[in-house]
Amino acid sequence: MSRIHLQGLTRRFGGVTAVDDIWLDVADGEFLVLLGPSGCGKSTLLRMIAGLLAPTDGRVLLDEADITHLPARERDLAIVFQSYALYPHLSVARNIGFPLRARRWSRDEIQAKVAEVAAVLDLSELVARKPKELSGGQRQRVALARALVRDPGAFLMDEPLSNLDAKLRSSTRAEISGLHRRLGATVVYVTHDQVEAMTMATRIVLLDKGRLEQVGTPEEVYDRPESTFVAGFLGSPPMNLLTAEVVPDGDALRVRAADLDLPLGITADTPPRPVALGVRPEHLRLTTPDAAGIRGVVRTVENLGSEEVAHCVVGDERLCLRGARPLGLHAGDPVHLTAAPENLHLFDPGSGRRLAWQPVPSFSHHPPPLPHPAPSPI
Amino acid sequence: MTTAGAFVEVELVRPRVVAAGPAARPVWWRRLLRALPPYLYLTPALVLLVVWTYRPLAQTFQLSFHSWNLLPTSPITEVGFDNYTRLLDTPDLGAALWRTLVVILGMLPFTLVIPVLVGLLSRRVRGRAGAVYRAMVFAPMLVAPVAGAAVWQWLLDPTAGVVDKVVGSPINWLHEAGPAQIAIIVITGWHIVGFAVLVVSAGLTGINPDYAAAAGVDGASRAQVTRWITLPLLSPTMAFLVLMTVLLSAQWTFPLIDTLTQGGPSGSTTNIYYLLWDYGFHSYDAGLGAAAGVLFFVGFVVLASGLVLLSDRLSHHDD
Ligand SMILES: Nc1ncnc2c1ncn2[C@@H]1O[C@H](COP(=O)(O)OP(=O)(O)OP(=O)(O)O)[C@@H](O)[C@H]1O
Ligand SMILES: [Mg+2]
Repeated sequence: MSRIHLQGLTRRFGGVTAVDDIWLDVADGEFLVLLGPSGCGKSTLLRMIAGLLAPTDGRVLLDEADITHLPARERDLAIVFQSYALYPHLSVARNIGFPLRARRWSRDEIQAKVAEVAAVLDLSELVARKPKELSGGQRQRVALARALVRDPGAFLMDEPLSNLDAKLRSSTRAEISGLHRRLGATVVYVTHDQVEAMTMATRIVLLDKGRLEQVGTPEEVYDRPESTFVAGFLGSPPMNLLTAEVVPDGDALRVRAADLDLPLGITADTPPRPVALGVRPEHLRLTTPDAAGIRGVVRTVENLGSEEVAHCVVGDERLCLRGARPLGLHAGDPVHLTAAPENLHLFDPGSGRRLAWQPVPSFSHHPPPLPHPAPSPI
Repeated sequence: MTTAGAFVEVELVRPRVVAAGPAARPVWWRRLLRALPPYLYLTPALVLLVVWTYRPLAQTFQLSFHSWNLLPTSPITEVGFDNYTRLLDTPDLGAALWRTLVVILGMLPFTLVIPVLVGLLSRRVRGRAGAVYRAMVFAPMLVAPVAGAAVWQWLLDPTAGVVDKVVGSPINWLHEAGPAQIAIIVITGWHIVGFAVLVVSAGLTGINPDYAAAAGVDGASRAQVTRWITLPLLSPTMAFLVLMTVLLSAQWTFPLIDTLTQGGPSGSTTNIYYLLWDYGFHSYDAGLGAAAGVLFFVGFVVLASGLVLLSDRLSHHDD
């Protein structure tokens, strides 16, 4: 198993920069998920790691060796394509055995190894079939088996579950996670499904328009999003983002907008500053009119089964609230909300980067330059 | 104090229906009107097929049992199987069949081997260069066969022709039995090779590039990818080209034979199509020509069915 280092990896297609200056270290045995919306460059990045696409700029290192210009076949990586790319003219057994055939193993060795891997993935009954005679889930397992058969340095997977139905998806998700734990394999996994990312990843890489937005454990990216993009991408519904202003009030800071006034829990004085205020739907609590920091009107209520999501209007902005069913809200009702200071996230309205509070020694004569962009992540 | 009670099943709620019989079928003429359009669209093609293909076929079949010298004034007499027995008795038919086989085998390098090689190699020529390259290979197809034949006649001329100068031998290409057949095959091949390259290119484009990428990551060398992935996936295209070659080679040679050798020297370039034409329009023996036509038609139908079955077996519908 291997480590992968990406150093300033860039790929341009004509005028489009599909992957823009990515620096990333993938540790040995890590399950790294590349997450982002459609067209953000996930597949392009994966294909460059696999050696199927030459980078415009930057380097790929595998265990410290520069493999940027090594052809795919010499890289010792296995890839599972979104389309599976099972060879349609070969039986399941020959598909699984293909990497070994290319390595000139003997027929008996191939047969033994294929039988072993097929048994692990519950494919033993199917080895004589052609890919077109398999269901989506079975094809997916054959593609996995073909990657597993030769014990590669790392596994690259491009949305391998996107063709499966919801139920099969969750069971296959567990299967892949289990395989990763058993083998201790390094996996780079592409998806645009945040549930897959949150449940499987040891670390998540969030990409937007080819740029890296944040790298961190699922908890880190969910609890401390470093940009409005990450905040607005993760969660369902995602984090509420409102235009607001941080203002000093007495000796404490508050965040204010139309019909919104919440304490930030910071004792300090600083000049007013426009911000983007983020708060997750599940962190908003219903409260009495007197204690309310946010006043709004309910527009619609969605029933999710165990929970409800209320879509409200506060000032002229929209806000979602999520809580156990029943919330006791109806369309048209006035709603009174509050949120704990530790659940409020502030972002710079221009750059979209997260703002972190940084106290300055009190002997300073100048008002502290606050709030301040967070130091760069990781 | 207790109350008595019992559990009752919750019933499936559904709207009450008075009498839910089957939905009423529309009246017959409405159904007919609805079913009609596809057949109406097909009609023009069907009419043309009947007028230009099936009717002549039937007439040929009929003519093959008659004797007629193509003169409108002379009588058409019924002769039963006479034409067929005459045809099978002459040594011409066997010899022509043999020469047809030679033409087909001789064409295969041009319709299969060269196109596959060129297709595989030119895949790496991309963009505008690739388009120009394919246009150049395809160009001979656009030259009218008779015009091409005229030029080739000069090139092959034994006294002033370029070919003999290059080869450095005094071969009289079009008037010696062996060389004439070779010349016909090569010129036909030159004509058709561009078309075959185009078919192969289309076949290669139709193969999902993920297969080759996957095979590369799986450790296969470029040659192995070609041998184990690309060629097997191209086999339906190749089967199609073989089918075309077997069925149409002799037809493709016809305009060249007619302009360059007229089946000669001493019948050495007469294949079955030229033989058929020769019977009908040189010997004015329409019945014999028709009989030959019917025989070849039946033979090719059998051959074609076999090849189509084979190519169906080869195709891998990947989805
Ligand atoms: N061969 C190509 N030529 C030109 N542009 C390309 C090419 N391949 C990708 N792109 C562009 O690069 C960007 C990133 O594409 P990529 O396939 O990596 O997206 P993705 O993140 O995998 O999206 P998805 O989730 O839809 O698969 C897109 O804007 C796409 O249009
Ligand atoms: Mg993709």
